[in-house]
Amino acid sequence: MNQDAVLKIENLKKYFPLRKGLFASLLKGEQSYLRAVDNISFSLGKKEILGFVGESGCGKSTLSRTILKLVEPTGGKIHFKGTRVDAMNRKQFKPFRRKMQMIFQDPFGSLNPRRTVSEILRQTIKIHNLAEDRDAEDVLIRKTLEEVGLNPVEEYWNKYPKLLSGGQLQRVSIGRVLVLQPEFIIADESVSMLDVSVRIGILDLLFKMRDKYGISFIYITHDLVTARYICDRIAIMYLGQILEIGPTETIINNPCHPYTRALISAVPVPDPTVEMHELPIRGYIPVTPDDTIDSCNFAPRCLERNKLCRSAKPEMVQVGDGHFAACCLVDGNAYQGDS
Amino acid sequence: MAVIEVENLKLYFMTRRGPAKAVDNIGFSIEKKETLGLIGESGCGKTTTAMALMKFVKPPGQIIGGSIRFMGSDIVPMTDEQIRQLRGKEISIVRQEAQNALNPVLTIGRQITEMILEHESVTRETALARAKKQLNLVGISDQRINSYPHEFSGGMKQRAMAAIATACNPKFLILDEPTTGLDVVVQRQILMMLRDLKDELDLTAVFISHDLSVVAETCDRVAVMYAGKIMEESDAVSLYKAPLHPYSKALIRAYPSLKGERRQLKSIPGAPPSLIDPPPGCRFAPRCELAQDICSQEEPAVNTIDGRRVACHMVK
Repeated sequence: MNQDAVLKIENLKKYFPLRKGLFASLLKGEQSYLRAVDNISFSLGKKEILGFVGESGCGKSTLSRTILKLVEPTGGKIHFKGTRVDAMNRKQFKPFRRKMQMIFQDPFGSLNPRRTVSEILRQTIKIHNLAEDRDAEDVLIRKTLEEVGLNPVEEYWNKYPKLLSGGQLQRVSIGRVLVLQPEFIIADESVSMLDVSVRIGILDLLFKMRDKYGISFIYITHDLVTARYICDRIAIMYLGQILEIGPTETIINNPCHPYTRALISAVPVPDPTVEMHELPIRGYIPVTPDDTIDSCNFAPRCLERNKLCRSAKPEMVQVGDGHFAACCLVDGNAYQGDS
Repeated sequence: MAVIEVENLKLYFMTRRGPAKAVDNIGFSIEKKETLGLIGESGCGKTTTAMALMKFVKPPGQIIGGSIRFMGSDIVPMTDEQIRQLRGKEISIVRQEAQNALNPVLTIGRQITEMILEHESVTRETALARAKKQLNLVGISDQRINSYPHEFSGGMKQRAMAAIATACNPKFLILDEPTTGLDVVVQRQILMMLRDLKDELDLTAVFISHDLSVVAETCDRVAVMYAGKIMEESDAVSLYKAPLHPYSKALIRAYPSLKGERRQLKSIPGAPPSLIDPPPGCRFAPRCELAQDICSQEEPAVNTIDGRRVACHMVK
């Protein structure tokens, strides 16, 4: 894979222990787990935007929290620019925090309502010692606000978050991250609370940050439509695992996992002449997934399943150029590669 | 006869800085069995319009003028007692965020029967039997009648809401962002359930959403709202194929799609205006690419072109 990967994840796992009754815990020693992130591996190249798409509860947010070590991984390795960071303690990891940042979903909740826009940025600058004195701080704040499109700066300088619109708040959040000059950002549902008319503006701002500063992104969303707009590659997640990963247009136009096909056909199209039809999927995403350790996670909802799906866990196989899928029905031998 | 006829409706919120013109002089009508979509950005007055249709208007909100005729009779001058007879029985609503709209300490069955017993003089047993029928109708097993809302998933809560809303066979249903916050797979299931429910019960509906593609899939006609006004009202097919108003055009252009080529998208520059002190003339003029002098001076009249209604100086 990519030699100069910014981020390389190997077999990452995050299990949450499930609480059980008193008697059960006395009688049986076996602890059961919710496998929120289960054996995920991928790498992220410089200036690449990789999307993780899935329904709520598929583990995409836990994945982002685990990568940033906001929760401790249960197992697996996280390499950031060649350095293994998963086993580090808080103190060792601190210099990496600046380089690995996150933009949250809810700009109304992630900004302190009692600080003005300039104070919010100043706080970040102070914590990380990015400027020598107050004048240097002011210069940096001004430059950052201009960078994220909050012009003229004076108009926003002394404003409190409640006076700004969702799009403007999200620009402040992005500014707060940008001021740290990160090399890698996780954008977790960063536009899903915004109006259609301002969404594209925010996504274009992410493009600009990638092109100007060479930042790599992981874009987490439930919305395939914006993922298609912004991502170079897309990974489809289901119950803690990647079911399919590949270049964006390949995933959209030539999906090979039954779940990806179901997700794509569920996306409404802005064309009233298209009739709604029944989806190629059954039931709901389970609230507490069964211990499906020896079978395909998606099998209970899959319309194409057969006996094989219930008896073996599908391996990730290559099906095309940079295109991988984990499904028992997909023939890994069909793809011969370029050579 | 139209089921709902709104004329020159004005709903202002009286704030200390002056009235915020949340809904300003709008009009539309919905024929029997028709679904009208109301789309627009947040703060454009879609939900306020929906609330007005049920006369859920509380101070500082106030209906300043206009009429809302339901089956021919104006609900604006009605007393609270009169409107209570209509709510739930004739006009019903499915709101967004079902988790907040359901009562967490009552079973689903109790919440459906409560609606029926409030409006009809039937026995508790009859009501319970009907509640079970309602649950089946929205795709929930009647075994779940004694479940509490927290035992349901997000999609099931929204189904339960629809079961409550249609328990008394209303004529008119308001769907206020019924699928916002749900996953695409669940969203499709809910949309199909609502479509079947509408066919089954011969419902007339207004569907409020900020999602253009959801409206495209569910509505016969669409009204595009901006800053408290209706900019364009048209049948859905023509609107998406050839939008007339510059705002409708900009909205559709900003909307990404999974079908077809990956295309360049354009956001709309600027932000919606203050409703307390809206710009003179056309409210979209400050953000409009086509704006001329007249646009910021004179408010455009509503023109009818091929059965479509559009309020723009530049569209003749």
